[in-house]
Amino acid sequence: MPDRSSSYPASPRRVVVTGMGIACALGIEETVVWQNLMAGKSGIGHLRAFDTASYKIHIGAEVPEGLIKGKLKELRRRPIDRALDLAVVVAWDALTQARLIARKPPWSEQDVAVLYGTGVGSAQSHFNAFSTFFEKGPRSLRPTTVPRCMYNAISAGVSMQFKLTGSNYVVVSACNSAANAMGTAFRMIRDGYAEKVLCGGSDGFFDPFFFGVWNNIGVLSPIEDPAKACRPFAEDRRGTVLGEGAGALVMETLQGATARGADIRGEILGYGESSDASHITRPSVEGQAKAIRMALDDAGLQPGEIALINAHGTATHSNDATESKSVRTALGSAADRIPVMANKSYFGHALGASGILETITTLLALERGMAPPNLNLENPDPACNLNLIGNKPTSIDRGPAMKNSFGFGGANGVLIVGPTT
Amino acid sequence: MSEKPKADLIVEKLREIMETSATEELDWSNYGPQSTIESLGLDSLTILDLLYDVEQELGVHLEAIDIVSVGNIGEMASLLIDRGA
Repeated sequence: MPDRSSSYPASPRRVVVTGMGIACALGIEETVVWQNLMAGKSGIGHLRAFDTASYKIHIGAEVPEGLIKGKLKELRRRPIDRALDLAVVVAWDALTQARLIARKPPWSEQDVAVLYGTGVGSAQSHFNAFSTFFEKGPRSLRPTTVPRCMYNAISAGVSMQFKLTGSNYVVVSACNSAANAMGTAFRMIRDGYAEKVLCGGSDGFFDPFFFGVWNNIGVLSPIEDPAKACRPFAEDRRGTVLGEGAGALVMETLQGATARGADIRGEILGYGESSDASHITRPSVEGQAKAIRMALDDAGLQPGEIALINAHGTATHSNDATESKSVRTALGSAADRIPVMANKSYFGHALGASGILETITTLLALERGMAPPNLNLENPDPACNLNLIGNKPTSIDRGPAMKNSFGFGGANGVLIVGPTT
Repeated sequence: MSEKPKADLIVEKLREIMETSATEELDWSNYGPQSTIESLGLDSLTILDLLYDVEQELGVHLEAIDIVSVGNIGEMASLLIDRGA
């Protein structure tokens, strides 16, 4: 058990990122993702996963075809469930980059915890099981339906694949899931409960049922041109676009990372979380502002010290207007000058995985001192009174960044990340 | 149809079933009637799925004990033929 008696909380352990893995519509290599972001190239397209002819919406952000299958083949795995497959691939990249494992097996057991956030878990396995049930009856259900459908199939699969013997579990809080997972991982390490955590999120939900459910809730953009459909903070925004994806970070102590000579990609400085406790889908300024303030306090920062905000920015009317007010409420006049980016116009809304995708893009931006353009923001909404980045990449000050994540159920999570110092 | 070609057919069908339902890439380099379940690298969960897929594809219900008690794929094919595949 690590010693956390005398130094906590006066000098808690610093938590750094030593590995990252990402899979989204822009690609599965961080350099490719970054190039596409800087080029203003959206990954949203017409859905290939299944025939959407009978649906209202026909677009989404899918990981380019064949990439995940190719990586699984290298791992000698067959596709099992999209969310698990995505989670395993990004875990492999993050662990390799952190130099916790060699690229190729055999791998030995090591004490690393696995925490993934997911909005819908093993959606594909659920769809397959329900289809069988209704077509052929209960006796036809595949015997491995339980291990395929349980939510922690994602973290368990990652833990088994790479022989990670720390705790493994999944955090479920809609679009806030990955933020909760990362925040929990950060606290586990800072407070001495774990030395290394592989954390992030995964959601793979392009199946006929799940996509149908989202078609009918009325928050998806009806704009048919994929590149123009998702318009965060624009006056003419019409809704969000779904995008599958996963991401993972290796977090560990600064001391441990330095001792083993790992490359440090950034630091986790603070985390705040709260609940609106008011409405199942309508966000609240008070709840979100509370999480933002908590995160700043946790990091010991003043609003004016934040160099970049990566917004939740779903491009729904309600989210963007509320988030703008929340940021204003929590940060005051400092919000006049902090540049705000929103990435969902590039790789859609990855629900439970959105927080990790956007934390990775935030870390990439901090490393480079540049933020990518915001797409489709020709007409910023006056109700979204923030310093929104325009249609060109922008240089940013060296300093910490804030990543907002807000989910249905009134779940709010805010992470403060900093550049390597 | 003589019994031997039918056994071969079932051996091939078993490979097809395992290729599509296994959760990991199995080793097919020396696949044949002499292959043991262990040599293919099937774990206990994959065997459960194999039983399921055999029933769906060939209409023969096998129990896990049946798989455990056969020595290799060839014996499994014979067992399936005995049960009416």
